[in-house]
Amino acid sequence: MLKLKGAGKIFSTNNGKIKALENVNLTVARGEFLSLVGPSGCGKTTVLNIIAGLEKASSGKVYKEGREITGAGPDRIVMFQEPALFPWLRVIDNVEYGMKIAGVSKKERRERAMHYLKMVHLTRFAHHFTHELSGGMRQRVALSRALAMNSDILLMDEPFAALDSQTRRILHTELQQIWCATKKTIIFVTHNVEEAVLLADRVIVMAADPGRIKKEYRVNLARPRAPEHAGLIRIVNQIMKELKEEVEKVARSEYDSGWSLQKSAFLLSPDSNVGGNI
Amino acid sequence: MLFYLVLIAMWEGIFRTGIWPDFLFPSPLGVFQNVLEGFQDRSFIIAIGASMKRVILGYSISLVLGLSLGLLIVASKFLDEVLSPLLLGLQTLPSICWLPLAILWFGIGEDSIIFVVAVGSTFSVSMATLGGVKNVPPIYMRVARTMGAKGIKAYTSVIIPAAFPTIITGMKQGWSFAWRALMAGELLSPKDGLGYILTLGRDLHDMNQVVGVMIIIIIIGLIIDKFIFGKVECSIRQRWGLNRA
Repeated sequence: MLKLKGAGKIFSTNNGKIKALENVNLTVARGEFLSLVGPSGCGKTTVLNIIAGLEKASSGKVYKEGREITGAGPDRIVMFQEPALFPWLRVIDNVEYGMKIAGVSKKERRERAMHYLKMVHLTRFAHHFTHELSGGMRQRVALSRALAMNSDILLMDEPFAALDSQTRRILHTELQQIWCATKKTIIFVTHNVEEAVLLADRVIVMAADPGRIKKEYRVNLARPRAPEHAGLIRIVNQIMKELKEEVEKVARSEYDSGWSLQKSAFLLSPDSNVGGNI
Repeated sequence: MLFYLVLIAMWEGIFRTGIWPDFLFPSPLGVFQNVLEGFQDRSFIIAIGASMKRVILGYSISLVLGLSLGLLIVASKFLDEVLSPLLLGLQTLPSICWLPLAILWFGIGEDSIIFVVAVGSTFSVSMATLGGVKNVPPIYMRVARTMGAKGIKAYTSVIIPAAFPTIITGMKQGWSFAWRALMAGELLSPKDGLGYILTLGRDLHDMNQVVGVMIIIIIIGLIIDKFIFGKVECSIRQRWGLNRA
């Protein structure tokens, strides 16, 4: 079980201090699939980094199984937006990297690496160098590298954002299957609401300036889920409505006064006089 | 290849016109004969051996020193701020300027030449190490940290391999500095070696020998640059996928 208690983060920049996160309280149950969505700059990645131990919270505390988190560790593997594979290693050695650091024997390392490469259907490319792979394949290698660590918590920071929609869809299915098979706790950061609802048990909507939790939604739909499912679309629309306000707030602050709120959703189409001659 | 044949032909042509006397301007044939004789009576082979021994020794010292100096400096922010400008300054100092100091410390001979060779390449190796480590993408370090790599393990498993393409470029540059420093050292503090027979040629007014030795120096430098460092660099670039434009 993972617990954030009053977590806050302040970044000091040359132009003063920026309050990135304020009083975030969050409890994640074991084996839960949680998504964090929000407009850019709402601190969702910061929350993930604090849980990962890659960044320190300016205030508040983070607990895992009742113990405070003080630094990064292999019990909370992070998967980043870019694959971040090591170009000097072959695919299989990349997957084995974390296990090598942990001191797993060579034979077991290889077996586990092959097992997880099989899970993402890349055993054929085990002995290739990473630059010989496509973007989607690289991200799949990164996924199997993260899975191979056998950590109970997997933190994913917009891992599929840079991929084309077909590849992303395949990876959504794979990730759901993997989650069902491994029962890991997954925290998934994304700006894509459909993706969040499709994957998660619970979706946390965050607001910006300062970054905080705005609302949370439970997604009680059967798995495997398809993006066309009506119940899913209904939740997506609810969250979208909630987010719209936030996105506009961020846009206004980023575009200064040049941004004007959309006044009406009414389209002035040539058909607007339909029925005028009755 | 044809270009070089034309070049040699032009050289011979100019020699034949006789504008300059042959003790100032040698003929290609004379140079070739001299080199051949030098190899036949083994005097060139002995000289090359002596030079190579020094440069390998000096260069190895500089690799160890340069790498450890670079890694040491990059590990501490304080050292980086204090020593980086000094290092840059020392790198711009032509290594032969160390020779007077080396002679006073070690006396004329083997040790002072090896010292100059080592000093010549140490700083470019350490500068490259410094730069390479600093330019390691932060994301690699984040991956290493979440995978549980800390301290020395993070260094050996991520930072050094990630910085290696830059380090190898510095090593290559260091080699050419070392080679130049060796020749300068052998010219000014002659005992044996290629620099020594070059000075000997001058003393004897043997222009054939002077040019012949110069050509040998060029060829050795080229071979090591192209075939050793070129190969290593190329294979690394291949590995990393940097060769694809």
